[in-house]
Amino acid sequence: MSRLVGRLVRLYPRAWRGRYEEEFLAMLEQGRWSIRDLFDVALGVVDAWLRPQVVYEGRLVMVSRIRGSVLAVLWAWAGMVVAGVGFRKLTEYDDFVRAARDNMLVGVAFDAVIVGAVVALAAVTVGGAPVSFAALRKAFAEGRKDVPLLLCMPPLIGAGFVGYVLVLVKVIYPAVGSVSVHGTVNVALFLSLVGAFVLAALASAWAVTAAVRRVEVEARALRFALYPAAIAAAAMAVVLVGTTVWGLGLLAQAPALFSGDGGILATPTYATWLVIVVVMAVSTVVAVVASIRGLRAGNVGHASSRL
Amino acid sequence: MGDEDLGLGRFSDPALFVLVSLAGGEKHGYAMMEDIEETCGARPGPGTLYGAIARLERRGLVEPVASEERRRPYRLTAAGASALRRRLRELQGLAHVGLGRLATA
Repeated sequence: MSRLVGRLVRLYPRAWRGRYEEEFLAMLEQGRWSIRDLFDVALGVVDAWLRPQVVYEGRLVMVSRIRGSVLAVLWAWAGMVVAGVGFRKLTEYDDFVRAARDNMLVGVAFDAVIVGAVVALAAVTVGGAPVSFAALRKAFAEGRKDVPLLLCMPPLIGAGFVGYVLVLVKVIYPAVGSVSVHGTVNVALFLSLVGAFVLAALASAWAVTAAVRRVEVEARALRFALYPAAIAAAAMAVVLVGTTVWGLGLLAQAPALFSGDGGILATPTYATWLVIVVVMAVSTVVAVVASIRGLRAGNVGHASSRL
Repeated sequence: MGDEDLGLGRFSDPALFVLVSLAGGEKHGYAMMEDIEETCGARPGPGTLYGAIARLERRGLVEPVASEERRRPYRLTAAGASALRRRLRELQGLAHVGLGRLATA
């Protein structure tokens, strides 16, 4: 009877045998088995075919690679947002607004940055929503509370940042009275605002990453997110090119403005611009590489799932 | 850890027995069978046992331990310990209500 039970193991699906056959046979060699056990193994075979529980190792790697790519694009986007806010701050002064209005190249480059930023935000939202929803659904199915809490963090952090801005404007600045633009107090408060924003961006990206990594998000949602992620990466490239052209255009059309101290905290304009371009370039490279890697993994996984 | 939550179907009880068995330390399949028979009074068949192990492993509630032998031991993961604790508390509550009602019947 034991030999017969052992032979039934061959009827299990290949994936199941690849994962459990050796230890299953080792277990069977340890005991004596009855006809009841024979039927039990037969039922196990039927169950393994009808409801396969074994995940192919290759598929696991594929899902893990797609998830890593999608999350890398999210982090790259967070870096781009920080640099983009820096660019917005740099260009808010009247001199730069005038330069964008008077010089077509500078104006078009500035508009391209805005369009790229809006498209990237939309793409991240479109790709992130199904992944977050899938993570939430899985978390509720498993009775986990940590994942919903983590996914609540970005809006809460955003609200906290807005609250801090309101406290700065409505409470702290009125309390300290008039301050010079580049005085110690104003610089310290500005740096605290920048620090809070960077921390908020990092904490939000971390919270989403932790949530998506803690549950087994459906491969379908992750694979779908690859396309908006690729669009976000392309939009980030547009933002990078726009920012670069904006600076070079300014250098050609208004060199005095470019070499002046119109940068953030009265730093040289070109220095602020250069730092922003470097951060944007790193973010864009990360996003583009991650997107290509993810799309390749997605295509391989899609092809193998049809076999 | 309701049945619907884990989608364990007819493997719900064997899976619970496996988790309880592994709560006492890592074990390979045959040792689990013996332990379950001793503690629960019913021995799961080999097919049922491995059906439950595959489901629990898929859900990250148990994990294999590296071993040189062909017999592969398993242990509870942190998620498995937490799910088992939750399920046993549910059963404890159910037992308390049921026994209370029987006492007053």
